Amino acid sequence: MITTGTVLSDDGFDIVKTYNGLLKEDPELTMPVAAIESLVLALSHTPASTVSETLDLLSTLTAQLKRSITNPISLSAGTDLFQRYLITTLTRPGQGARGDFDQIRTHLIRNGQLFVERAKEARERIASFGRHFVGDGAVVLTNGGSRVVGALLRRAAETCEGTHSGGGTIRFKVLYVTASGTSDDSEAKETISALRARDIPVATIPPTAIAYSLSMVTLCLVGAEGVVENGGIINRLGTYQMGMLAKSAGKPFYVLAESHKFVRLYPLGQDDLGFQQTVVNFSTQCGQKDEQDSHPSDGGVADLESKRSSCSGGPAVPSRFDESVDYTPPHLISGIITESGVLTPSAVSEELIKIWF
Amino acid sequence: MPSVMLAPTPGIATFLKHLKHNPVDASIENFVSLLKRRQIRSSRPCAIATTHLLLKVVATFRDRDVAKLVERIRSVGQQLIAAQPREMAVGNIVRRVLGLVREIAEDDADENPDSTSMGDSGYLPYSNLEPSGLPTHFSNFSPPKHGSALPQKSGLSQSDSNGGDDNSGQGAVAVEKQLDRRPPLLTSHTSYVASAMAPQVTSLFGLLSHPHTPSPTATPPLGTQSPVMKPGLTSRVLATIPDASAAKVDIKAEVLEGIRELLDELDQADDQIAAYALDHIHSNEIILTHTSSTTVQRFLLAAARKRKFTVIHAEAYPNDYLETHATIMQGRQKSAVGDDEDERWSPLTALGITVIMIPDSAVFAIMSRVNKVILSPHTVLANGGLVAAAGALTIAQAASVHKTPVIAVSGVYKLSPVYPFDTEELIEYGDAGRVAEFQDGEMVESIEVVNPLFDYVSADLVDLYITNLGGHAPSYLYRIVADHYRAEDVNL
Repeated sequence: MITTGTVLSDDGFDIVKTYNGLLKEDPELTMPVAAIESLVLALSHTPASTVSETLDLLSTLTAQLKRSITNPISLSAGTDLFQRYLITTLTRPGQGARGDFDQIRTHLIRNGQLFVERAKEARERIASFGRHFVGDGAVVLTNGGSRVVGALLRRAAETCEGTHSGGGTIRFKVLYVTASGTSDDSEAKETISALRARDIPVATIPPTAIAYSLSMVTLCLVGAEGVVENGGIINRLGTYQMGMLAKSAGKPFYVLAESHKFVRLYPLGQDDLGFQQTVVNFSTQCGQKDEQDSHPSDGGVADLESKRSSCSGGPAVPSRFDESVDYTPPHLISGIITESGVLTPSAVSEELIKIWF
Repeated sequence: MPSVMLAPTPGIATFLKHLKHNPVDASIENFVSLLKRRQIRSSRPCAIATTHLLLKVVATFRDRDVAKLVERIRSVGQQLIAAQPREMAVGNIVRRVLGLVREIAEDDADENPDSTSMGDSGYLPYSNLEPSGLPTHFSNFSPPKHGSALPQKSGLSQSDSNGGDDNSGQGAVAVEKQLDRRPPLLTSHTSYVASAMAPQVTSLFGLLSHPHTPSPTATPPLGTQSPVMKPGLTSRVLATIPDASAAKVDIKAEVLEGIRELLDELDQADDQIAAYALDHIHSNEIILTHTSSTTVQRFLLAAARKRKFTVIHAEAYPNDYLETHATIMQGRQKSAVGDDEDERWSPLTALGITVIMIPDSAVFAIMSRVNKVILSPHTVLANGGLVAAAGALTIAQAASVHKTPVIAVSGVYKLSPVYPFDTEELIEYGDAGRVAEFQDGEMVESIEVVNPLFDYVSADLVDLYITNLGGHAPSYLYRIVADHYRAEDVNL
């Protein structure tokens, strides 16, 4: 079965390829929106005529998409939102099924671009709202390659129209935490150079220097791949650490996330994210036994367990640190800035309840 | 000849008298100067004065156009807020009244759809693509929308006809065009939103919702159908068109009615809060409080009728200690507001409660013996934090060390929807002479003396807010903000 890119081929619509293609084409696109876009394209390519057929198709495609990506949290925010939207609008009581369905379908297909526009607009709104957090003389600590944070910092750096570049009305500095301690880290590179071009002093530090530099920090800003039900976030590995340090030093820790990143997940810990990620790999000199740090089911028969699991392959492969994520619990977060304002972590679950129940 | 009449001290009483006899604009000027000179201070008198003033503003408003009324209230509000930005109660009342006006106008528009645009496209959700800059709302009643300060551009609500009637011919109706038409959207799942307004669709769907309607006669746009919407809309349109003009007169009367209810709420806030006292104060407890706040005293008095407890009262030197002494010894003898009946209350000691007065420096030392702390804020902020009289932060931090519950009692009128980006700005500074007298030449010359009147207490130090609506956790305040204020009014 060879599928050619995103074009409908004889055997079917390859959603994974579409999704990856979309992400590659447009670097400004977030994963949830790309997922929604690919589902919309799937809708347009597959003539489904009934509501249940469509919903069925969508769940199949969603499952396919989630299976193909290691970390499906971010895109599942988009797919879940899309599914709930369809279910809500299609199964509303008192509506003629057929005519409305076609209308919705047409609307969705025609307005694929619209969603992307709105999502980008959401980012701009967050940036224009959140920049008030950066006052004169502030030092902002951030990490990762979040585009929202980049947009916000760029907005804060902007001068009033018509004046010369550089020399904004707000003078602030940025402390960027990168894995290597330099700006060669590809995620943040563009943002850092963009900020430096605007005359904003940016320093890059390795994660080991966070505590050291925390005394000069005014506030921490991070993005999020997903915002979970209890108001915590899933973000690049190292965010949890930053959150803990910020809390203990009494610095505010704000998260910037568009509201379409809210995902219906309630992790009880770092191991409970719904997918396997092996950040911690114990090994010894003899035998290179890989021990799984999650699921110590048979406590007494530890050796046997680890041998068996290393045979099974799959999860024994350690994850790359720069692709791993961690979970930051809500009590470390001072506020989540969405395009609708600043939410307390407890407001997130209310939002999710509203679409799910 | 001995002078007979001393001019009364300018304050809320003089203002209210002035309001009765003078035209509105003169009263506005008077209020502005009272605010600037700090002759009217503290949330409650400011709130009462603002409400009376707005009552008169609306009563004397001649035009029939609701949008103009909104604009008038906004401009008055802007003047008042500019006069004293730290008196957040003024802004809160203005926003409440604005929200009231919008609500009444919309309810009215719902019942009297007198334009073609009402037919269905009145229920447009989010016309985000239309060139009017940024979209305004996704949903209007979800917590994020109102939750805290919102990224609203104030001009948008006026200049663009958002959230609704863009594509259909809505030029006719000033109301719907100018006001932010909030489409009363409903999903079957939002029934738990209990409010007088039509329930709203959720914000998360804003990404996907329909941008415009095809035609005025079609069924309402998908995803936005409201069960509230009456099926026989067209017939109703025809039936009620003659009543449209009558409706507009009623708006003003309803607004006045609403403002009077707001006044009642302000009057009864303390009593309603005191009604919860027995739930929170138990026998033989030791309660710590500070300053001469009426709300706290009445709260404690309500409990004192049935329970015996001890109160430790920090005297709040140097700004409030004389009033605190007077409150402890005599209660409140005369009122500053108007009628005296409700304002007189006896001191706690008269009911057999032991009151121990301590200097502020002793708070930490005594905290290990205290069961509860009761604070009265000056302002409550949308993030759950509060601004209270100086000394409150010390008390709150001492309480958190000893894991003592901190309860803040305040009416909802003190809750401000404006998100505090910079908490330093909220602190007002007072007369430094109270700390170090100006007569002390050496001190004055060599030391910079500051006298902050307020402290900012962050949300994690407060355990419970008791308002006239009941008790809430600090993390719940965003809902109350959402229920009382409109997104478009946050930036005046």
